[in-house]
Amino acid sequence: MVNLVTSDNESFTVEKAVASRSVLIKNMLEDVGESDQPIPLPNVTASVLKKVLEYCDHHKNEPMPTSEDLAAEDTRKRTTDIGEWDQKFIQVDQEMLFEIILAANYLDIKPLLDVGCKTVANMIKGKTPEEIRKLFNIVNDFTPEEEAQIKKENEWAEDR
Amino acid sequence: MALAHPMPSANSDLATTWAFLEEGVDHIMTRLKEGVSYSKYMALYTVAYNYCTSSRMHGTPDPSALGGRSGANLVGSDLYNNLIRYFVRHLETLRDTSDPLLDVALLRYYADEWDRYTTGANYINRLFTYLNRHWVKREKDEGRKNVYAVYTLALVQWKSVFFVHIQNKNSKLANAVLRLIEAQRNGETIDQSLVKKVVDSFVSLGLDDSDTNKASFDVYRTHFETPFITATEQYYTQESEAFLAENSVSAYMKRAEERLREEEDRVEIYLSSTTRKTLVSKCEHVLIREHANTIWDDFQNLLDYDKDEDLQRMYTLMSRIPEGLEPLRKRFEDHVKRAGLAAVEKIMGEGGVDALEPKAYVDALLDVHKKNEETVTRSFRGEAGFVASLDRACKEFVNKNAATGSSTQKSPELLAKHTDALLRKNNKLSEEGALEEALNQVMTLFKYIEDKDVFQTFYTTKLSKRLIHGVSASDESEASMISKLKEACGFEYTNKLQRMFTDMSLSKDLTDSFKERMLQTHDDMDINFSVMVLGTNFWPLNPPAHTFTIPADILPTYERFQRYYQSKHSGRKLTWLWNYSKNELRANYTNPKYILMTSSYQMAVLVQYNNNDTLSLDELVTATGIGKDILVQVLGVLVKAKILINEEQEQYDFNPNFKSKKIRVNLNQPIKAEVKAESTEVLKTVDEDRKYVIQATIVRIMKARKTMKNQALIQEVIGQIASRFNPKIPDIKKAIDTLLEKDYIERADGSRDTFNYVA
Repeated sequence: MVNLVTSDNESFTVEKAVASRSVLIKNMLEDVGESDQPIPLPNVTASVLKKVLEYCDHHKNEPMPTSEDLAAEDTRKRTTDIGEWDQKFIQVDQEMLFEIILAANYLDIKPLLDVGCKTVANMIKGKTPEEIRKLFNIVNDFTPEEEAQIKKENEWAEDR
Repeated sequence: MALAHPMPSANSDLATTWAFLEEGVDHIMTRLKEGVSYSKYMALYTVAYNYCTSSRMHGTPDPSALGGRSGANLVGSDLYNNLIRYFVRHLETLRDTSDPLLDVALLRYYADEWDRYTTGANYINRLFTYLNRHWVKREKDEGRKNVYAVYTLALVQWKSVFFVHIQNKNSKLANAVLRLIEAQRNGETIDQSLVKKVVDSFVSLGLDDSDTNKASFDVYRTHFETPFITATEQYYTQESEAFLAENSVSAYMKRAEERLREEEDRVEIYLSSTTRKTLVSKCEHVLIREHANTIWDDFQNLLDYDKDEDLQRMYTLMSRIPEGLEPLRKRFEDHVKRAGLAAVEKIMGEGGVDALEPKAYVDALLDVHKKNEETVTRSFRGEAGFVASLDRACKEFVNKNAATGSSTQKSPELLAKHTDALLRKNNKLSEEGALEEALNQVMTLFKYIEDKDVFQTFYTTKLSKRLIHGVSASDESEASMISKLKEACGFEYTNKLQRMFTDMSLSKDLTDSFKERMLQTHDDMDINFSVMVLGTNFWPLNPPAHTFTIPADILPTYERFQRYYQSKHSGRKLTWLWNYSKNELRANYTNPKYILMTSSYQMAVLVQYNNNDTLSLDELVTATGIGKDILVQVLGVLVKAKILINEEQEQYDFNPNFKSKKIRVNLNQPIKAEVKAESTEVLKTVDEDRKYVIQATIVRIMKARKTMKNQALIQEVIGQIASRFNPKIPDIKKAIDTLLEKDYIERADGSRDTFNYVA
């Protein structure tokens, strides 16, 4: 068992197989060796870690992505398909979604990072810039000239 | 938990961040054995992560990121450059410490530091995973050269700062390794793991710029393998010459074998397996190829003294170099041939070929074959080239040797005679399976016989004798021998032989049914009679060349059988072979009543004395119808056996006082003239047969091809007949002429050397 401590000082004790979905933790256990020291995770809060561990627990018996899988990254990126369980799992509020993405990036859990990013991509798909600004609460800081210029440069990508 | 430096907050600047990271990196690179706690590991990772993910620009901005065109800012070049500076500083310390070191001390220092450095670099690489995954990856994707993942970066720095520096001092590092290897070759014990570590580092330092996952052996080859191979060549050139100057070839081969094994082990123990081929072939060249002539020249010596182990070693060594075995195969062939010829020479007595025992001859040939076949199997691992040499040599001496002179027909004759002796009742082979084994050995030689048709003819003659005289050892062995011949030469070769057995069994049935019939129709059959009816085409038997008057005593039986046979098979002509018949007579005038076993001619003479006590030669000629010259010989045997007395010229008297130790007296011995005639007769048959075989082959070929040139036809004929005998070209030409005369073929219009088939 592995003892994980979050930034807000909550402690989680999980199976090694679950914690090792995080390449960061897996590498550390390999390098430093196993002990009963707690593992501090200064960039993750308890509420997010709980969610992340839920994901890790569900996928704990799957093989870790190999270097060949990573080499086939391009094909993986193109598809926005998400598994059924994962889809349900990622139905969270926007703030939690971004927290999960950040945590997956930090902990180096590539499949989870993909699920998060694909979800965001699906949210953006088919929307106008204005809709997107509204969706993510983004202030438009372009001058009208800048905006026209960018539009012109990206004309080729317009869907018409 | 007490940290020397507290973990900087998420948005700290480069100076604060690096100060924290550098302390950790240095800890890992130089004091790893003190251990790293989870919290320290996580802190280092997190700080590096935070720095790379912070959205602010740090230090000098990357000019390519200007204009906001490259999307998200990837921060990392500062950390990367700081890492380089750290590695360089670290390596400069190692370099300075290593400068005064030499040989083993240098190797030991280098290997220890290498271990420590690469272990540490692996840690660092993982702590900076985020830098690798994002900043390094992006730089590489954008085509920047000389940007590496942190571990590779560490190796690149090792190579340029430390490794190249030592090597530039007269290849100090590689030479230290080479000296250590030389010491081991000289028999000293060295620290092999030390060599292995240093050599492994050469391999690791080979970095393929285009693909860091792929190992490149550039550094290993340039800095180690090439000088190593050169040193090896010099070492063994010197050693092998010195060794051969003072030792025998046998000792040298042992040495070379050991050396080759050692070098192969060396690759296994501490070199890269890519070196195996180059190293081994270099050693083979220096140790074997360079001394091949000397080694080859010792081959005969080893053969002469049966040095199996050395022969085997020579074979193994020579098989390692290209064309190494060919000279041995040639010499072996000569050797076997000489041995075969010498063996025959030795058994040739004063009496010449005629006095030669077939068994002694065959045994002499077999001994040579067996001995050398064993050599091939044991010392040359049954290698096909040596088997071929053995076969070629055997073919030579089996067909032509001191006993045969220039004739290729003597060997098949002697072999057939030997086979006959084996298959006879009195073959003196008591052990079970001994006969079968002896027959197998016959087949061993048979394989080499050129004139297989001569063997066939002799064998047929001998077989017919065994069958009609009932002296065959066993039907089983006869059948076994025939099936061996069939396997070797095909159905056609043994067809006649098999027909002879069929005739034998038909004759037995015929005799039985005849006797049964006679019992029913005649009650005066007081002569025990049995008959063999043999197909003229299958049996090499000739009717008597002279007349014969059938004695009155057997005439009725003769006529009854004639009638009986004609009634069963009308139209068949029976030719009586009196010269092969035999009889048993009971002498009622003696006490005990001897049984005389005789030939028909002897019987014809003796029955004359039922009515006379004295007869002149002329009277006997008239009575028996046998020519004078033959009859004199027939009488000679009877006189010698003291059945008849020949006291006056050309007058033969009945001897009433005949005595013998045995009740059954065998008088039926072949007359000398017959024995001698036999061989000549057989050979005449062979010559006749060959004419027909050649003609038949030509007709067969022409029928298939329709038109053929003279030269091509001759070649084709030779090719088809070679398995039976080697046809002579004049004989083939003669056969062509015969066929032209008989209109089987014709000359093509306007051409002198093209023939057409005449349908």
